[in-house]
Amino acid sequence: MAPLDTPMPRSQSMSMASVFERYGLLVFLVALMTVAALASPTFLRPANLVNVLTIAAPLGMVVVGQTFVILVRGLDLSVASLMATVAVLATAFKATTNEAIPMIFIAAIALSAVVGLVNGWLVAKRNVSPFLATLAMMIILQGIRFAYTGGAPISTLPPGMGFLASGRIFGVPVNLITLAFLAIAFGIVLHRSRFGREIFMVGSNPKAAFLNGVAPDRVVILCYVICSVCAGIGGLFLLGYVGTVSNWVGQGYELDSIVAAVMGGVALTGGRGNIFAALLGVAVLVVINNLVLLLGFPIEMQLIIKGVIIIGAAAFYRTRLA
Amino acid sequence: MSAITVDLRRNRLMLSYLIVAVLLVVLAVAGGLLSDRFLTWRNIGNLFQQLIVLGMVSLGQTFVVLMGGIDLAIGSLVGALTVFLANFLEWRPDLVWLALPLALVAATAVGALNGLLTVVLRVHPLIVTLGMSSIVFGATLMYRKEPGGSVPRAFADIAYAKVGGIPFSAIVLVVIFAFAGLWLQRTRTGRSIYFVGGDREAARLNGLPVDRIVVLAYALSGLCAGIAAIFLTARTGVGDPRIGAALTLQSVTPVVVGGTILAGGRGGVLGTFLGVLLVTMLNSLLNFVNVSSYYQWVIQGLIIIIAVGIHTTRRR
Repeated sequence: MAPLDTPMPRSQSMSMASVFERYGLLVFLVALMTVAALASPTFLRPANLVNVLTIAAPLGMVVVGQTFVILVRGLDLSVASLMATVAVLATAFKATTNEAIPMIFIAAIALSAVVGLVNGWLVAKRNVSPFLATLAMMIILQGIRFAYTGGAPISTLPPGMGFLASGRIFGVPVNLITLAFLAIAFGIVLHRSRFGREIFMVGSNPKAAFLNGVAPDRVVILCYVICSVCAGIGGLFLLGYVGTVSNWVGQGYELDSIVAAVMGGVALTGGRGNIFAALLGVAVLVVINNLVLLLGFPIEMQLIIKGVIIIGAAAFYRTRLA
Repeated sequence: MSAITVDLRRNRLMLSYLIVAVLLVVLAVAGGLLSDRFLTWRNIGNLFQQLIVLGMVSLGQTFVVLMGGIDLAIGSLVGALTVFLANFLEWRPDLVWLALPLALVAATAVGALNGLLTVVLRVHPLIVTLGMSSIVFGATLMYRKEPGGSVPRAFADIAYAKVGGIPFSAIVLVVIFAFAGLWLQRTRTGRSIYFVGGDREAARLNGLPVDRIVVLAYALSGLCAGIAAIFLTARTGVGDPRIGAALTLQSVTPVVVGGTILAGGRGGVLGTFLGVLLVTMLNSLLNFVNVSSYYQWVIQGLIIIIAVGIHTTRRR
């Protein structure tokens, strides 16, 4: 019992190195935004900034979840496939009125939770590597989804979904408010609760966690459930933003979410990371993408720059902490 | 002590091979029963003709996985090389003798660069190869967004050629796999790939040039992707930047189905070969009985889970 009451895991997550990491990335983001502002006067226009943040929000939701999974030495490749599957599920209601929205959310979260449970069960109880378990889940969801839709896009959606995804309250995008709410809620869970401390313990040393009375399997499974639920919610917001459901909604989010988390200093080896730093990683990623567009470079350039930055950022954290 | 563990390891691997082999026979019999065209020479020939692309990328992935890494740049690399080959050969059809070595060298170089980056920067191979995949894909798209180019007839023939009734590509594949298997088992360098994958620190302490072996494994993966791209371009006749998109993850399936452990150090190319046969045969059978490709995905996912479930034993 006692070890859980000591602040050990938290102090680890707030150590000098991790503080440096957080501010290091912040400095990088500010520098990037300065470059963007100098390079293109459009960048700092409120319309552009709001646009960037609106695009960032669904990815941010996925990253919140992905962080939990990476912290327990895992990763989730099925998030993007789940986002698209949730989007298809949302249109399956063929709802045209907003009364259906709560129902859609409940169904989406329920489906996501089941997916997360299966992922977590395979990883924790069956010892399947996270890479393979979630890869298999990604392919299975993709098959089921295509079999259901026959490959064709659908677009019957309650009008309120569009408002959730791209509407604004006092000029602030609704999806950004939702992301902030999610991030704060899960941030408290991760960085302030007993369960959060258990996550860090399991991530940094499963055996020690077990000897200290933590059930690693239970913690890991819950992390996968949290990840899938976040991805499912992200899928609904992305769907509302895109408007129609292609079967590939969210494609690329699995890799982008891992990239953002790693740039935000979440260690793939587990046990080290911070949700808000991971979200800074998202900001860096979307600002880079926006910058490439504003500078008039071909959109393919985003891929090249993203590739360089992901390797560079990972290397940066590696050497900083060595 | 070590003799015992080696023996156990070998037995377990043998068991994996046996399971896959039995499954292959079951599939063949099922195919024969379900369709009278499945077990004809013609279909078997077709099937063997298809093996080379998946076979080569899976072989490359096997080297890397055995060494304890993973290569997620394979698909982008194959796509980039098909674009290079088809466009180069459209420009100068007479320079096939130059285009092929160039493609192989470029592929090996990209692979070696992956290895170098993981060694020098000490970044997780997942991140390095993912980043590389993004860079290669982006660069390819900047050059050419749509499928294009063409290949001379003589070059296209290597995909369809037969030697004594057996597809040339299948012979190439078997020879390369046999060579790779012997190399891994019988040579010092080959065996050190297992050693590095099993316990990198121990390998280092034993004086193995770990970094060089890591780079070598990735370089071999690149080379294999190059060979796959040559046959793929010959078969399709065009360069398509997106053609490799699915290949990266597909290359992992035969490896794990064949009993190679993702953590590294255990497995072998024979398993991968059986895995490639199994996946290709299953897809062919599902096509024969008109199962939509959508359900084929579901089945592929289930196979990965079941294969890993069979091969992994619970440890705590």
